[in-house]
Amino acid sequence: MSQQIETRQIETRQIETKSVGREAVISVRHLSKRFAQQIIFDDLSLDVYRGEVLGIVGGSGTGKSVLMRCITGLVPYGAGTIEIFGKDVQKLSERERIAMDTRLGVLFQDGALFGALTVLQNIQVPMREHLDMPKKMMDELALIKLKMVGLPANAAYKFPSELSGGMKKRAGLARALSLDPEILFLDEPTSGLDPIGAAAFDRLIRQLQSTLGITVYMVTHDLDSLFSICDRVAVLADWKIVRTGVPDELRKMPNHPWVERYFCGERAMSRSVS
Amino acid sequence: MAISDDVFEGFSHYADDSVGLHVEHESNIFRLKVSGEWTIREVARLQREIDNILMPSTLFSNHIGEIEMGKLDRLDVAGAWLINSTRKKWTARGLQTRLTGAGNEHETLLGEVRRSDEAGQPQIRKESPFARTLNDALQGVGGLGRDTLMILGFLGTIAASFVHSVFNPSRFRWVAFVHQLEHVGFRAIGIVSLICFLIGAVILQQGIVQLRYYGAEPLSIHMLAVLTLREVGVLLTAIIVAGRSGSAFTAEIGSMKMREEIDAMRTIGLDPIEVLVLPRVLALMVAVPVLAFIGDLMCLLGGGMMASVYLGLDWSAFVENLHASVTMNHFLAGMIKTPFVALIIGIVGCMEGFKVEGSAESLGYHVTVSVVKAIFLVIIIDAVFAMFLAAIGF
Repeated sequence: MSQQIETRQIETRQIETKSVGREAVISVRHLSKRFAQQIIFDDLSLDVYRGEVLGIVGGSGTGKSVLMRCITGLVPYGAGTIEIFGKDVQKLSERERIAMDTRLGVLFQDGALFGALTVLQNIQVPMREHLDMPKKMMDELALIKLKMVGLPANAAYKFPSELSGGMKKRAGLARALSLDPEILFLDEPTSGLDPIGAAAFDRLIRQLQSTLGITVYMVTHDLDSLFSICDRVAVLADWKIVRTGVPDELRKMPNHPWVERYFCGERAMSRSVS
Repeated sequence: MAISDDVFEGFSHYADDSVGLHVEHESNIFRLKVSGEWTIREVARLQREIDNILMPSTLFSNHIGEIEMGKLDRLDVAGAWLINSTRKKWTARGLQTRLTGAGNEHETLLGEVRRSDEAGQPQIRKESPFARTLNDALQGVGGLGRDTLMILGFLGTIAASFVHSVFNPSRFRWVAFVHQLEHVGFRAIGIVSLICFLIGAVILQQGIVQLRYYGAEPLSIHMLAVLTLREVGVLLTAIIVAGRSGSAFTAEIGSMKMREEIDAMRTIGLDPIEVLVLPRVLALMVAVPVLAFIGDLMCLLGGGMMASVYLGLDWSAFVENLHASVTMNHFLAGMIKTPFVALIIGIVGCMEGFKVEGSAESLGYHVTVSVVKAIFLVIIIDAVFAMFLAAIGF
């Protein structure tokens, strides 16, 4: 046990040395949160560096989504600090809050598209709200976004209820990218998609990330996504981030029972064999 | 709301004056030098500046356009789109334009935007307002026919299910029936009573005011009694029930349809008509006659109160007047309608519920439609009965 802790400390030090010189766009320090009697986070710390794809994994109910909601400011937290671009998210004024929101894009699990608007109008909502732009320019920009996420041009005038699950996610992604955000939050982007659709969505995220140079914070369950597109993985267990590292590294040295079960379990192993 | 630049100041890594463009003219090259930050917050301004550039005439010279991006700090999709669309626009005007000096990552972004741009345009369904109105009208007429058929079909299904229950009473959902009876019947007594009481009072008061010219005020009691028993009591009750219970049926069944609970029932082998529709419709058919009866009484009570206030009649005189003007026929002519009215409200409420599709808007739409249709059909039924009863001299 003490040896385990030691290796973990060495490990953290390694990561810290590796990360010298990289700019942390999100840094969470000593975060604690509880709902009534239930502890959600206890002294949780996490850094997200500019330009990386970070995967957050953890068992059901460990608070992956809650963490994302804390960072994006949807849920207040207790003790600790969360800084985005070096600013404490709970100490922003209303105007700073809005300015911050325009630099973040969030894709919710089922897309969370506005049902009363067409896909094109959905993509334009952030532009309409935050920028002063001629209608024609908004149309063209929204159309570019639409095609960048791999939707056919004809989807532009459809309503969300006319789209399939995968298309809804793509449309949600286009809306998240509407203002060219610097950080993109994805909540289980591949859940509910078939393996082919999921792989295509992974490719899309990776490709957008490399073209646009954005930082991606991805909550996921999907082992395939982790191994194929994540630069780094953070594991949420026991109310904190227990391990961070390159996926392969975590598989070789799990150092934590949950991490071991996750990365060295049947599904992970069968995947690595194939 | 547009955010002014000062909000972003705290976050921006770049000085604002470095954003921009300027134009160079060198022998036959017309060069646009772009610099600084070409992002979505700037594109509207940059577009205006580009539109103001005076282009060289291409009639007599062989100019070449060039967009030079060596000093570009930051480029996002919107900026890349602007550069690409400027290139396209200039080329279309006869000025062959090329892009130079783009860094690697900017090159990828430009390539991606160009690829997306060429991926085809959506076909916009453009319809003239006239054609649309005509189309809507045709749809409406067609819908009327379809609805009639559907209501008949639904009626048949319910009837079949009812007959089935009669022969297998144990299959009938008694608990659901009693539960619905409480909700559509018992809990509606208060509101039905209140509204009928007030309307009865108003009818008598108006009758007195109008008949005073002829000195025939006591006749207003006759008018109130006949009107209430034949029409008003039933109609008011039906409208309240359609608004209260018809809409609730649609919302309940519709939300079950939305969450695939109806499909789940079918796969388990439950018949949604038997489980959901039959108890509701039967509860309504029991409750509405009772409610209408209570409504009749309350109308008369309200009228009686008005009579004592305006005409100074005491209760026994009022009741005597009623006896003189009302026959059993008037009462029955009203009550005979109630089960039919209940049936139509129940059918429309449940049927609209089954028409709900995946979205919440669809639910809201069908609840509205259910109430409007139910009230409309109630009035149609009322009119048909009025004509029929008049024809047979009832």
